[in-house]
Amino acid sequence: MMDERTEQLVVSELSQEGRILLKRVLEIEREKLHLSAAAPTIADEILVAVKGILP
Amino acid sequence: MRLLAIRLLNFRQFRGDQTFKLASDADRRVALLFGANGSGKTTLLNAFTWALYGKLSDDVESQERILTDSLWAETAFGVSIPVEVDVTFEHEGREYHARRSAQVRKAGDAQSTPVSSLKLWLVERDGSSKEEGAPQEKIESILPQRLSRFFFFNGERIEKLVSRRAYAEVKEDIKTLLGIEHVERALKHLPAVDRKLSAELKRHGGEKAAGIQTSIDDVQDQCVALKDEIAELESRSVEFGSELGEVLDLLRQHEGAGPLQSQRDGVVTDLLGQRNELDRLLNERRYRVATKGFIAFTADLADQTLSKADALHERGSLPAPLKRDFVESLLQQAECICGTPLTDGSSATRHVQEWRAKAGLAEVEAAWQRLRGDAEGLSAARQDLREALDDFGRRISELRDEISRNEERQTVLDGQLKDLPLEDVQRLEAKRRDLEGLIKTTEREVGAKKQALATAEAELESLRGELNRAAVMDELAIKARERLQLVQSVTQALTEILEIRSEDMRERLDRKVKEVFAEITIKPYFPVLNEDFELGLFQQTQGGEVLPVPKSTGESQILSLSFVAAVSELAREVRVERHVEGELHADAGHYPIVMDAAFGSLDENYQGAVARALARMAPQMVVLVSKSQGMGEVIRELAPHISQLGVITSHTTNQEDKSEVIELEGREYPYVLTRDESDWAEIRVVR
Repeated sequence: MMDERTEQLVVSELSQEGRILLKRVLEIEREKLHLSAAAPTIADEILVAVKGILP
Repeated sequence: MRLLAIRLLNFRQFRGDQTFKLASDADRRVALLFGANGSGKTTLLNAFTWALYGKLSDDVESQERILTDSLWAETAFGVSIPVEVDVTFEHEGREYHARRSAQVRKAGDAQSTPVSSLKLWLVERDGSSKEEGAPQEKIESILPQRLSRFFFFNGERIEKLVSRRAYAEVKEDIKTLLGIEHVERALKHLPAVDRKLSAELKRHGGEKAAGIQTSIDDVQDQCVALKDEIAELESRSVEFGSELGEVLDLLRQHEGAGPLQSQRDGVVTDLLGQRNELDRLLNERRYRVATKGFIAFTADLADQTLSKADALHERGSLPAPLKRDFVESLLQQAECICGTPLTDGSSATRHVQEWRAKAGLAEVEAAWQRLRGDAEGLSAARQDLREALDDFGRRISELRDEISRNEERQTVLDGQLKDLPLEDVQRLEAKRRDLEGLIKTTEREVGAKKQALATAEAELESLRGELNRAAVMDELAIKARERLQLVQSVTQALTEILEIRSEDMRERLDRKVKEVFAEITIKPYFPVLNEDFELGLFQQTQGGEVLPVPKSTGESQILSLSFVAAVSELAREVRVERHVEGELHADAGHYPIVMDAAFGSLDENYQGAVARALARMAPQMVVLVSKSQGMGEVIRELAPHISQLGVITSHTTNQEDKSEVIELEGREYPYVLTRDESDWAEIRVVR
């Protein structure tokens, strides 16, 4: 079953808001990848992104 | 990251201010520098890592002597001398200039490690530059230090990259390069977001919703704890596996135990294949029984149906779309089903008579043929099923016999190895048994935890469903619930993306390592990157068995270089493909390879093949070689790709006349200059 799943398919199954959040979460994580102590800030940044997408 | 230049000021052997340009393009990707043994090739390699990370590799001796020794000797007490290394590079379309510097003050006879500092400037297109506020963090974001070992390495020590102990680290490191690590990190951070939104829902959602959310939080905590425990156990299992691999390698290489271990490898490989085949057959048989098993019970049913149908057929009353005798009865009664009188010669009578012609025997015959065909087909399907099940039974029984025979053979071989009158073999065998026991125990624990996790996740799913259905009146609570659902859908998608990417990366890396290795080696070996990212070397025997091969140092080096080349190429491919994360710059995933003595102890034919493979796969290479390593096959292979060529001239105080030259592009350059006033290294640009 897993063999037939692709990344594009998984993304296409998300809602429009889901796709925007996914992209934003990955952008935030990539930007902060080198900062090992940034976990609390990252969670807050993601929360801000969620509230921006669903105000 | 594309290297443009390196500048050294009084850095170890490199006395004074020296610069070497490294700029390359897609056609000419290689900067080649020749240097005699001890001339400073390893120092130049380390100049890159010192500038970028402030570190020298472990094989650099007297690390505190960062200032040129001769300069130190000439310096008066209390005086400070600057040491600097500048690396200029391009990254994602922007130019950066990194400088690490230190002031070395002479306070005693011996140097002590100075404190260094890093500055990083972003060079604008108009030539002006802006200093980065957090230079080390910026460098880390471009090329994290722990990944640098894939790109800045000493070829003579590179085999360590594929030593068994390195697997777990390598697996973690390449996640960043292959676009997996930030997905993993997202999955660690999203539960915290989930928890914050849950708190809002609890605050505003009323008693029932708050109660359900509290249960969700508890189960989520259980899931997190179980996942951590599973990860810990799995990592322990990988460590045991690595250790077991080392023990088996030692047994394979052992003069007394080697032949027996080789036989045992064969038996173990056979057993693995046979057990997998048995599982496949048992599953296939289960599926066949589940989907077609009912056919076995239809013997009487088909016979009874056929005999009843025969009788009906003889009477002509087998069900048909329109029965002929029904139409006949309408004509006899002279009244249509709709009540219209059917008088002789009327159009209604003619119409019904036409129906009589259409109905009846043809349909009966067709229906009869269909039924007969179906019933007879049932009988043939029953026969097929019986034959298939017989065949499954026979093959399963044969496989079980083979497995049982091989288990006996393995037991005998285990006993023979254990009883060999060689102390070191007995010790290794005891260790092997212990490790196998530990692996089995750990795997069982992992299995139990995974089961508990599946139960907890099912409960979580059900509680979330309950929460979604619970009546929530407060507007803030409704909003919190919507946001929570959004975060959960993204978490679920990322979990799946991580699984897809990880497997895809491993498969692609495995394919690439195989391709590169096959290009380089002349031996009939092939590498396999397994699910734990263990890179092993195997050989297929004439009988078709696949057996592990103990790796020599040379083979480990080729394997490591193949791995580096494959990682380098895949990193580029992956970055270009990652559209979910947004558009990336064209050179995303480009990393230079800087290598000292890459062709170290390899035979000449291997040197050429390694040079060819690396030149093809790496986007930029800086190669540091001695005359003996680089003048033959290597320079022939690299020549068409060279953009920058240089020599590190070794100045020595040796009084014997042992000066040497090197001929490059039709000119002679000093390679070793003896009878100098001090020992130092000088970079000369050839091209």
